[in-house]
Amino acid sequence: MNPPEALPEKFGTDEWVAQVDARRAGGGWIGKLGARWGALPISWRFLGLLLVGAIIPLLIHSDYVLRVIGTAWLFATLAVGLNVVVGYAGLLDLGFIAFYGLGAYTYALLSSGHFNVHLPSWLALLIVAGVGMAFGLLLGSPSLRLLGDYLAIVTLGFGLVFVQLGLNLDRLNVPWSNTPLNITGGSNGIINLDPLHFFGFSLSTVANYYYALLVWLAIVLLVIYRLNQSHFGRAWRAMREDPLAAEAMGMPTRRLKLFSFATGAAVAGVTGAIFAAWQQSVFPNNFDTNSLINLYAMVVLGGVGSLPGVSLGAGILTVVPELLRSPELSRVIFYMGLALALVFLIRPRRNGLAVLVGVVGLGLILRLAVQAVAPGLVSPPTIEVAAVSISSGFERASQSFGVLVQRWILLPKDPNTAGNLAYVLLVPALLAWARMKPSRWRTLLLVPLLYLLSFVWETRLSAEPAITRLLLIGTLLVILMIFRPQGLLGARRVEIA
Amino acid sequence: MAQFLSQAPQQIVNGLTLGSVYALIALGYSMVYGILQLLNFAHGDVYMVGAFIGFGVLTVFLPDAGPLLPAALVILLMLVAAMIGCGFLGVAIEWFAYRPLRNAPRIAPLISALGMSILLQNSVQLTLTAQFRVYHTEKLIPISAGVDLGPAHLSLVRVLVIGSAIVMMVGLAYLVNRTRLGRAMRAVALDREAAAMMGVNVDQVIVLTFFIGSALAGGSGVLTGLVFGRIWHTMGFNAGLKGFTAAVIGGIGNIPGAMLGGLLIGLLEAFATGFISSTYSDVIVFVVLILFLLVRPRGLLGATGAQKV
Amino acid sequence: MALLELINVNKHFGGLEVVHDLSLVVNPGEIVSLIGPNGAGKTTVFNLITGLYTPDRGDIRLDGASLLGLEPHQITRRGIARTFQSLRLFLNMSVIENVTSAAFFRCSSNLAQIVLRTPGFKREEARIRAQAEDKLAFFGERLKGYRFDQPAYSLSYANRRRLEIARAMMTEPKLLLLDEPAAGMNPNETLEVTEVIGELRTRGGYTILLIEHDMKVVDGISDRVVALDYGEKIAEGSYHDVATNERVIEAYLGRKAAITK
Repeated sequence: MNPPEALPEKFGTDEWVAQVDARRAGGGWIGKLGARWGALPISWRFLGLLLVGAIIPLLIHSDYVLRVIGTAWLFATLAVGLNVVVGYAGLLDLGFIAFYGLGAYTYALLSSGHFNVHLPSWLALLIVAGVGMAFGLLLGSPSLRLLGDYLAIVTLGFGLVFVQLGLNLDRLNVPWSNTPLNITGGSNGIINLDPLHFFGFSLSTVANYYYALLVWLAIVLLVIYRLNQSHFGRAWRAMREDPLAAEAMGMPTRRLKLFSFATGAAVAGVTGAIFAAWQQSVFPNNFDTNSLINLYAMVVLGGVGSLPGVSLGAGILTVVPELLRSPELSRVIFYMGLALALVFLIRPRRNGLAVLVGVVGLGLILRLAVQAVAPGLVSPPTIEVAAVSISSGFERASQSFGVLVQRWILLPKDPNTAGNLAYVLLVPALLAWARMKPSRWRTLLLVPLLYLLSFVWETRLSAEPAITRLLLIGTLLVILMIFRPQGLLGARRVEIA
Repeated sequence: MAQFLSQAPQQIVNGLTLGSVYALIALGYSMVYGILQLLNFAHGDVYMVGAFIGFGVLTVFLPDAGPLLPAALVILLMLVAAMIGCGFLGVAIEWFAYRPLRNAPRIAPLISALGMSILLQNSVQLTLTAQFRVYHTEKLIPISAGVDLGPAHLSLVRVLVIGSAIVMMVGLAYLVNRTRLGRAMRAVALDREAAAMMGVNVDQVIVLTFFIGSALAGGSGVLTGLVFGRIWHTMGFNAGLKGFTAAVIGGIGNIPGAMLGGLLIGLLEAFATGFISSTYSDVIVFVVLILFLLVRPRGLLGATGAQKV
Repeated sequence: MALLELINVNKHFGGLEVVHDLSLVVNPGEIVSLIGPNGAGKTTVFNLITGLYTPDRGDIRLDGASLLGLEPHQITRRGIARTFQSLRLFLNMSVIENVTSAAFFRCSSNLAQIVLRTPGFKREEARIRAQAEDKLAFFGERLKGYRFDQPAYSLSYANRRRLEIARAMMTEPKLLLLDEPAAGMNPNETLEVTEVIGELRTRGGYTILLIEHDMKVVDGISDRVVALDYGEKIAEGSYHDVATNERVIEAYLGRKAAITK
């Protein structure tokens, strides 16, 4: 008989009970890795990531890759700005994208041939920040009295008004001139913007703007982080918890809300200016509802209120859709993602593997059955593996994988109709499955469900990457709110009704 | 001025038509907000789906040669199909996306609603493509049919739209004020817990409220198709926003208010389009929304909500 | 001079008059209890004092200066802090953060100092933290040590009430308004609360106006008791005087009890 293990110190005391969350999070190698990372001082983590970001252009010389990652920096900065408004102050601003657009257009007017104003970049950016702050205050002050939902709608309205004005302020009739005034260039936007230039050096290449955006992101992160660690951060969090109690404890909630609006707007504005200089043009549809939804998805996915969270969310939702552009690559990612999800998210492990095997088996059975009974319904693979000379090994491998999948799935002769029908079946099935209580049935039903999902993917979704991306975002938002409202890195919140 | 007077009656007709559409959408918003304090962002997209359902029915019963059934019957079928279909759609949305979030912080159902809206729009785009569809109303009702009221022409189609809307609103008013279900709905809107304690099946009431609100939106979609002709997968966004504006102006949670708000917004948009500019008519409507929320957030007929400290 | 004065304060909501011609005085160093049946308007009085509501008529003065028209956070800065009848803690923030957040207006670091983490900023943060620990120490071992970093929602009910008091203390007020500090507490905790309120005066130097239903607390700690009913003051004096007052008994127990007493 082995002697019983010694109980941990203070076992069963209040203190021990209070540390349950830490103990629960510690398990598994992911948890341990996370714990080791979290134990490093924050300045180390920040500088480490910054270093990695700075090295990338030296290792990867592809303009395309740098552009994608640069865009990730861009949206991460916007997400941090939005985080200040939504995550810290708790103000649901659905018009935030308008500040981004305002900054871009202001820069366009100050540094282009449109009105022939060519301010030095440092001055232009300063003015953009100021204009951003001013409009943040302008939008913020009447919104102070509004409850969460109403604030959301009003700000959404502002965002829409902004796009409308952008589209239509190119033919403004003014009393002092016969020709109408063209302020925003309408749907044609403003082009030929000056690139950013500092100390005589003009930013022109993708790598230049990559570093500019990285530096700007780093500055914004630093300032916001430190601000959050001060009494401002405490006031923000208090306001988000209970504005009435915060006010009663001496925090000037109105001024703090305005401060949040102004800060978020200024960050968005300057980011917009850098974007404008990079793209060397501005168009109204850069700042429309689609972009806003994208941004909100990033913030929500990463975790509202968490700086690393929203940055991560921005990274994921910038990079992954790019990966989805190529149908072969997106297929690989899709199936790999499913397989990984099955293996990692279902406990016990063997159940996940069983489902995986089940789906593959079901597919084979169905395919063989239909081929035997009605071979005319099935179509041969439509993908061809390209010749060695014109594509890389990786491309050919993913093409081969595609052919394999197309032999496995029941690929119909007319993918559109069958796929649409399957889609209409899939959506309610997926959402209903999500609402089931965990049970053996639920795991079992996953098999036909995943097969159906693969079917829809092969027939319709892989052919429409733009729509698929939006469908994924929509589904993500709903699923996230139901299962993990705090996002990836956010903190679980307790709220009284 | 003379030009204004001569064109005004026509704009009033247009405004009433638009207003009927918006009022029906606004009712759904108001009712759902009244019982759940939730802004159902997906409501506008339910309206869009209704328009497409109606189009589907129309395609079946209206081949190129002519209607297979009397026009009135076809229109009735379209309305019924859209209303029932959308009713169930609304119920499904509530069950999937809102019910699990009943006790979550306010931002969660809002984001979920946003996600639902995106899902609906893009699902329609995926399965039916972005191509807009056209209701060939002229094959059911001759274009010239209608009456002339002075300088204004009141086409039969518009009479139909306004009339249907009135019928639906009267029906709703009767339901809410004269039936047990209506009383239960009002009770749940005032105090959910107390209503539950008084024996009201709150979940059932919520489901029915969603059904009715979504059915009205679906009907509104068909009416829109009939009178304006074109439908497309993003039409729900704009109409939904204006429907919400109408609900707010009337006083959110207030049913007569939604009707009044809808009418006012319709008239506002018609007059703005007719006399100022069609490009800015949307901007004007939103500016009015913003002003209303700032100056009188409880709307024209809404009640002030006191907050106990 | 009186610390707090309410002079002929009136407040109505719609057609309902919730506070009617109320005059009240609290002198420095006093502990005054406000009692009365539910709905008598006691919390409304607190809300009027702290600026959540504005009186329709009358004046409210702190140290002789009128508080009318000021925003709640300005009134807090002038020296009045309160707790809430239905606890209003910052549930997702830690215990220590709940307290330090209340020191916002006593922090003077500006943006540059915060971002650059100057020594002055660090000193201020340390000072605020020490003060917060000090306030929490008022309650002994309960809110100390590992508890500092626990989220407020993990606290027991009694501890939550204590935390709210500590948070109010952090604003360094002259006057503390305690709204039913003993609500929901068992006899032991009630006794402890009574002692703590006494210590708030002796060790903390606060003047206290409290609303209470538990007469053991009221009796145990008050210098003076004011009774309200339907928004009007119906009695004032020592606990014994007020408790045996006919109108007060009628308000709590009904006319028959008052007559047959």
